[in-house]
Amino acid sequence: MALCLAIFCDHPATAHIVPPEELHPITESYRRLGFFLQLRPLPSSEVARDVERIAAELEALDAERASAFARAARPLVESLDPATELEPNEQLTARRALFELATRALAAALETQLADARASLADYGAARRSLDLARQLWEAFEVEIRAADPQTFVELGRCWLELSSALGHPGVLGVGVVAPDSAAFAEDADELARYLRINFGEAYRVAEAGTFAPVPRQRSDPERAVELPIRLPPGANLNKQLPRPRQVLNMATRGVDERETTLIALGDMGFDSSFIFGEPARSLALSCNTCHNKSITNPGFFIPGLSSRPGGLDVSSSFFAPHANNGHFDPIDIPDLRGIRFTAPYGRNGRFDSLREFIRNVIVNEFNGPEPDPTLLDGLIAYMLEFDFLPNPLLGADGRLTDAASAAAKAGEEIFNREFEQMGGHSCASCHLPSDHFLDRRRHDIGTVAGAEENSRDGALDTPTLLSSLYTAPYFADGSQPTLRSVNEWFNDHYELGLGETELEQLTAYVETVGSGVDAYEDTLHTLEAELEEFSFFLSTYEFLKQRQHSELIAITFKTIALEIRAHKWDVQDPSQMPTLDHMASLMDAAGEALQQGDWAAVDAGVQEYRRVYAENPQLR
Amino acid sequence: MRLRNSVCALALFALAAGPAPAAEDFRLVFIAYQNPDQLVDNVEPVVEYLEARLGVGVKAYVATDYAAVVEALRGETADAGFMGPLQYVLAHQEAGAYPILGEVYSGSSTYVSRIFVRKDSGIESVEQLKDHSIAFVDPLSSSGYMYPLDVFRQQGLIDHRDDADAFFGRIYFAGGDEQAIRAVYNGFVDAAGIGQYSFTLLRPEERDQMVAIGESRPIPSHCVVVRKGADPELVDGLREALLALNDGPNRNLLEQLYNVDGYVEVDHSTYAGVAELAKEYGFVRE
Ligand code: HEC
Ligand code: HEC
Repeated sequence: MALCLAIFCDHPATAHIVPPEELHPITESYRRLGFFLQLRPLPSSEVARDVERIAAELEALDAERASAFARAARPLVESLDPATELEPNEQLTARRALFELATRALAAALETQLADARASLADYGAARRSLDLARQLWEAFEVEIRAADPQTFVELGRCWLELSSALGHPGVLGVGVVAPDSAAFAEDADELARYLRINFGEAYRVAEAGTFAPVPRQRSDPERAVELPIRLPPGANLNKQLPRPRQVLNMATRGVDERETTLIALGDMGFDSSFIFGEPARSLALSCNTCHNKSITNPGFFIPGLSSRPGGLDVSSSFFAPHANNGHFDPIDIPDLRGIRFTAPYGRNGRFDSLREFIRNVIVNEFNGPEPDPTLLDGLIAYMLEFDFLPNPLLGADGRLTDAASAAAKAGEEIFNREFEQMGGHSCASCHLPSDHFLDRRRHDIGTVAGAEENSRDGALDTPTLLSSLYTAPYFADGSQPTLRSVNEWFNDHYELGLGETELEQLTAYVETVGSGVDAYEDTLHTLEAELEEFSFFLSTYEFLKQRQHSELIAITFKTIALEIRAHKWDVQDPSQMPTLDHMASLMDAAGEALQQGDWAAVDAGVQEYRRVYAENPQLR
Repeated sequence: MRLRNSVCALALFALAAGPAPAAEDFRLVFIAYQNPDQLVDNVEPVVEYLEARLGVGVKAYVATDYAAVVEALRGETADAGFMGPLQYVLAHQEAGAYPILGEVYSGSSTYVSRIFVRKDSGIESVEQLKDHSIAFVDPLSSSGYMYPLDVFRQQGLIDHRDDADAFFGRIYFAGGDEQAIRAVYNGFVDAAGIGQYSFTLLRPEERDQMVAIGESRPIPSHCVVVRKGADPELVDGLREALLALNDGPNRNLLEQLYNVDGYVEVDHSTYAGVAELAKEYGFVRE
């Protein structure tokens, strides 16, 4: 039936893009609510939005229950508003009560749908719709039931199959009619309803651990520890952009043989590896590369509750590293890392002078990782020092426009260099120095940051480069400006520069010219071959790491390659290559196990075998 | 009785509220797999394109099941519609409808059904599924029942669809491709018999746990079907207009048409194999 839908996901060019889960709006809001409720601070306006959405959608199913839910939930939502200033333990109680309320409302709505389906068995279409809806609501509970009680999960899964089969089929023009089996339907519907009432009915309570997830109360094996999978809420997007941005690596431009640059190879691996982080980033397969895709900002990155707009997130949140939570919601647009060796200090507010300090902080404090091996840090730095800006034939070495630039851009260059009384005698160019990569390595409060209090002095930001910026929208640290034109309008309004339409256009033409570059995007859609080449580059560090006895880094390398092959293998154009790719991934698994047992001969053999398989399969290159 | 119900459902989703369609309007029924309202919006550019090509008004309707599409063609409340091969065979038999175009996906106008099991099940061949449970999609589906069942027939394991109950421990109709493949993935059943593309409904890491142990004969893809007695000039116009999307400037419209790669011309003989099989299974009269 869903043939065509199936094919949407089968589009070869996007096979490695994970499509969003399709959930019923109620299920979606409920799952998101559970995610929000664990966050500190609580994203209270988003909580309110999802609670209202649940109420509105319930309204269509069961008006009476919907208004009962809304009546009970709204005061809780209000009490959770920061303005109410609840004590921490009252906060927790209110959060729990809200989640329990939503859980019970969902379970009850599901039960009603099952009853509706049962009452309309004579009308196949109506019964099928109610049953499908019930099953979509079931998706709110499924993951937790599976994790907490696998045995019951399977039994209940069969109930759903029984229910679907018991609907029968109306046939087409009288052909293929199968009568509904109401006795069978009733039996399984009753079993599900009973389960829901026991586990998610009036007696449902949020588990003591404080995880806002529907963990069933009664389990076949109550002794078994419940380990819930780490998940992001619906609406999260970790996919990288398409078309792929072009990375400019200085060494590659110079034609250096990648196997000779061991430290860079190690850094490339680390940049792609979630194993250098701790939980939950590790389980979510998050790496530097997820956000800084081959040095370029990922504009679609989004996590509800942690991002305010696509392309940014709060890097000091309770979710990724509770110990380093700064306690307030301050999402930041992901910066581009092109030309990073020229753009110190680091962080939007320039809080770290060295890349080393910055990266260590990312690993240990932002993403909860173990203290990184110094060699890994050396590698990451060596790799990142290769990130270049896009070449730009419209700019000379001194940062002045070349003759090839447009007349409008040239007129804009003059405005950019004009000193304005209104900007304290600054020109744009006195902060964005054309001869120094369009930055000045200083921090200025230009009025883009809302301070902690009146007259506070916490709004200064490091002047960002404008090079390669045409491809990094949105702009400003908070991502509040959608285009370079709107940034210019902001300056014009904020400093009352008095630029007219023509001058604004010229200034924009100039900034866009400065921000442009040659071939910003790749034209290849199929990335598997390039990825495999990169993995053998990762593996080229093996002899060096072994000689220096960096077993931990070797283990990370093996795990990273295996995980990446498995993530990318669905891009393979020729399905007959699939077994080879599986084989390569399992060679890495096996080498990792041998490493754990200290069986170096087996590790060596595994690495050699991987290299041999790759070398002997020219189709993979 | 059913006929009236379905036509009501059709009318409910009529694109343009307002006066009844003029007699010379061409009426096209789309099948909505998920969100009928969304589909109504999506097909609007297609409707505009067809109006420009055909030179008459085009009215689009959205149905939520195939039976409604077939019934609309028989009841002459629609002139053309989109449907699966088995539904076409029934529409032909019961109402003299005929196909004009087949859909092309991933470069092919045919696809196959597969029998999937979990890799860790230890099951390696379809014979081993004797007395085991299997999920199909629905009893009137080509790729989600008739063709996968045929895999067992080809192997001499069953003779007729009525033998299937005796061969399998339990047969379920999961109601959808995703439900069927997930039923195996989750261990609710031992196997599923479904169209090849259903597999991609699993997440990549989940796909790795599954394996196909049987594959059906090729199934002709879904098709555009025209009612008996439709204006031949408009039918030719429709065929040419849709074929022109294959590599014309309006190619992007294919995205609204179930994201097909394009269309190929077909006629009744394309579906002879389906009709044959449907007969063996007792779906169509001798
Ligand atoms: C979840 C997304 C995410 C991940 C993963 C991530 N970053 Fe970042 N990165 C950001 C954001 C957002 C900022 C801006 C933070 C700030 O300025 O305080 C940033 C800033 C930076 C900067 C400073 C850039 C500048 O111009 O000041 C560097 C360098 C950097 N990241 C490197 C890394 C490295 C190396 C890793 C992996 C170890 C990594 N990032 C992982 C989102 C991410
Ligand atoms: C006093 C120093 C200073 C002056 C003068 C100045 N800028 Fe900036 N500029 C900054 C700082 C600091 C930021 C970062 C602001 C933020 O992220 O909120 C910035 C951000 C930008 C950005 C966005 C870059 C990005 O990637 O987000 C652009 C574009 C820009 N400035 C252009 C200009 C133009 C054009 C002028 C002249 C009208 C100008 N700037 C004048 C310091 C300055």
